[in-house]
Amino acid sequence: MNDRHILTTENLSLSYGGFRAVDKVNLRVRRKTVHSVIGPNGAGKTSLFHCLTGGRRPTGGRILFNGEEITNRSAHARVGSGMARSFQITSLFQNLTVRENLRLASQGRDGNGALVFWRSAGARKEHTELADRVMERLGLTRKAAVAAGDLSHGQQRLLEVGMALCGKPELLLLDEPTAGMGVNDIPMMTELIADLGKEYSVMLIEHNMGIVMSVSDTITVMSRGGILVEGKPEEVRADPRVREAYLGEVA
Amino acid sequence: MLYLFQVLNGLGLGMIYFLLSAGLTIIFGLLNFVNFAHGAFFMLGGYLCWSLTELTGSFWISLLAGPPVVAFLAWAAEVTLIRRIYRLPHTFHILVTVGISLILQEATIMLWGPIGKSIPVPDGLQGVVTLWNFAYPTYRLFLIAFTALIGFALWYLLEWTRFGGLVRAGSESAEMVALLGTNIHRLFARTFALGVGLAGLAGILSAPIRGVHPFMGPEVLGIAFVVVVIGGMGSFTGALLGGLLVGLVQSLMSTIWPEGASLMIYGTMAAVILLRPYGLFGRA
Amino acid sequence: MNATGEPLPAQSSPGRSGQRRDASASLCSRLPGGPAAVVAALLVLMPVVLPSRTMATEILIFAMATLACNLLLGYGGLLSFGQAIFFGSGAYLSSLVMIHGGFGLLPALLTAAVAGAILAALVGALAIRRTGIYFVMMTLAFNQTAYFIAYTLSDWTGGDNGLLDVPRPSPTLFGVTLVDLSDATAYYAFTAALFFLIFIAVRKIIASPFGSTLIAVRENEARAGALGYDTRNFKIVAFAVSGAVTAPAGALYAMLLNFAPLENIQLSMSENIVIMTVIGGTGSLLGSLLGAGAWVIISDILSEIWPRWLILTGGALILIVLYLPGGLWGGVESLMRRFRRGGGTRRTPDGVPENAGAAHPME
Repeated sequence: MNDRHILTTENLSLSYGGFRAVDKVNLRVRRKTVHSVIGPNGAGKTSLFHCLTGGRRPTGGRILFNGEEITNRSAHARVGSGMARSFQITSLFQNLTVRENLRLASQGRDGNGALVFWRSAGARKEHTELADRVMERLGLTRKAAVAAGDLSHGQQRLLEVGMALCGKPELLLLDEPTAGMGVNDIPMMTELIADLGKEYSVMLIEHNMGIVMSVSDTITVMSRGGILVEGKPEEVRADPRVREAYLGEVA
Repeated sequence: MLYLFQVLNGLGLGMIYFLLSAGLTIIFGLLNFVNFAHGAFFMLGGYLCWSLTELTGSFWISLLAGPPVVAFLAWAAEVTLIRRIYRLPHTFHILVTVGISLILQEATIMLWGPIGKSIPVPDGLQGVVTLWNFAYPTYRLFLIAFTALIGFALWYLLEWTRFGGLVRAGSESAEMVALLGTNIHRLFARTFALGVGLAGLAGILSAPIRGVHPFMGPEVLGIAFVVVVIGGMGSFTGALLGGLLVGLVQSLMSTIWPEGASLMIYGTMAAVILLRPYGLFGRA
Repeated sequence: MNATGEPLPAQSSPGRSGQRRDASASLCSRLPGGPAAVVAALLVLMPVVLPSRTMATEILIFAMATLACNLLLGYGGLLSFGQAIFFGSGAYLSSLVMIHGGFGLLPALLTAAVAGAILAALVGALAIRRTGIYFVMMTLAFNQTAYFIAYTLSDWTGGDNGLLDVPRPSPTLFGVTLVDLSDATAYYAFTAALFFLIFIAVRKIIASPFGSTLIAVRENEARAGALGYDTRNFKIVAFAVSGAVTAPAGALYAMLLNFAPLENIQLSMSENIVIMTVIGGTGSLLGSLLGAGAWVIISDILSEIWPRWLILTGGALILIVLYLPGGLWGGVESLMRRFRRGGGTRRTPDGVPENAGAAHPME
């Protein structure tokens, strides 16, 4: 148990039938850093992400979070331990307001604590205040009363990340936060993620190389379910194996 | 011997349930549509059987003409109404088909009266067949053979014809089939008519055993649901085995604990849900 | 179209109107005194306007059941065809403890509420093991189970004949009779008071952390889970609350009729409750009162003239789904809006576009 690492996996594996989507992956995410996982399509990034968020039960190996085993913990229980995730395909409460989206996200950290009838939903100050702070940080305060579904695509992507922030996580798991974003919006997201890396531990799955190279402290390159290369951005950039893996995808 | 008798009864009943549920499951598989009027169409089949038998004096004509009539009504409902609601959530499918079943139920009472009818066992199938040393009603024996034949034909239709191929492919991806240049509207309407026609056929076949009454729709629907929950929605094999299981349980229980026979099939369903939430053959 | 049949979160939601937040609250909050005052006024007016006290009482009883169904459907996105389980059990249990246990009115109602909550939590816990269409099919099958149990236990329930001679005791406190409920007006007043309390309570529940989370689960279950909510718990509790309201409604109905028929626990009763909810408007509590009122009044008038009036209900259900997804209350609301101002801003006060659901991707 190294205290420098917030998340470690030991021989983590996930097979579908005979196909090994994740094959004995040993991953170590250091605290207060941005750790990106990249790789060509089908490398196993998404399957790995599913294992980490609790969407899929691994078929082998262990996941340790803060030194505690969470391998078989359910997705919702992981939030209580201090993990939060965003979705690759925007997954908001489309018909609820931006403020309500974030308030629900803040309240979620308490899990079953929300099984309360006798108070009004806005009565817990810490939840509404956290929601307002995150809204401020995302620059969405003006849109507080707008339905999430009516935001621009870029704003929805920001809100998507903001929802995860409201879980007061130690570790943020971001699944392609720039997916589908226009070129003009991407710098805003890059800045946000770089900023988050100072306060939180961030694990990022991303296709956009520009972002990955500029914000990451560590990059893990996956290929065929396993780890191909791991290192600092400049090391990864220079590694011929990485180029080969990506070129293989093109060919 | 008593048990053999009940097992045979259960097979016949189970095969009727199979036809009923296969219709439900085929529609769901392709159209992703849940037909809560399925029981009402089963009832309609039974009443058509009564009327056509009265009118022509022959059960065989009703067996031949009844299912196409039910299928035609289903086709008409699909073209005029149901096709407009596929894009809505499942809840809306349910509400609309509940509406249709209410209309069918009340129309049945208007046409045939509020009291049930019994249908005589068809000519040529009255009496019993002696097997070894015990006698079994000829009609029920015919039922097992005939439904097996229909089941086989249905399997052939789904597995080996172009239509069946489209239905199966469409169950995987309706967009794909549409892209291949198939008229998806026509395919949907025909599948809906086929599925509901099977319910009508099941209703006709069960009429000489069970009779008909205007409020049987919900009960039949409940059984069809039990079968697909047990067998797994969208699975043809599941509908067959689920149907047989439910038929056998109901039939065997009727000698052991008559009042609890219907109860037991729901107990079976609860057990399956607890042990295998996705049904015996369901897709996760 | 999602051909695998595994429903996405939004598919179990009640649709366009229901996806709005409590529509009745948003409109009526601008009326003096808010929705509670509107309901209070209606409760006073109903016995005056309607042809009989019994009819007014019946409306309120079904409005309670509709309110409970609406909590599941309109706010939780859970379409339950098992509401008659709780309605019928409430009728049977309260009657039995009054007949055989010598229970008074209030203890009998309390018994029904507690039993209804437990039963509903059980049914809910089993049925939510699957989502979407399987869930609905299971609630229907459980209703059939309950029906056959009631039918089989004819020594207790009277089977087909129903449970006869259900008393209507007057509430007592320390041996003093508070009010004589054998009088139709007094019984109406008692039911109205209870309805008012339940209406306020359900409104409060919807505005609570629990209620807001239930709406979140309806809107997007996957996201709600990822935010840390164990969504199953919220659905089960919603069922329990629904059962705790529906069962006393069944009890009151038995006391109104002095009789607990087998029909109370039949699938058709569940259907009726769902139809009242949809006709009134899902996701609006005043709509529930409207739906139950429309149902009872129309059935009373039409069943005199034409016993096959249910055929119209079937048609009405289809038309509402196609053309008036907000139900009657949705219709009233858009009429009032049009009346108040021609156009202008098309937003409800909480910032949700009025037809937000229409733009909502259903697949």
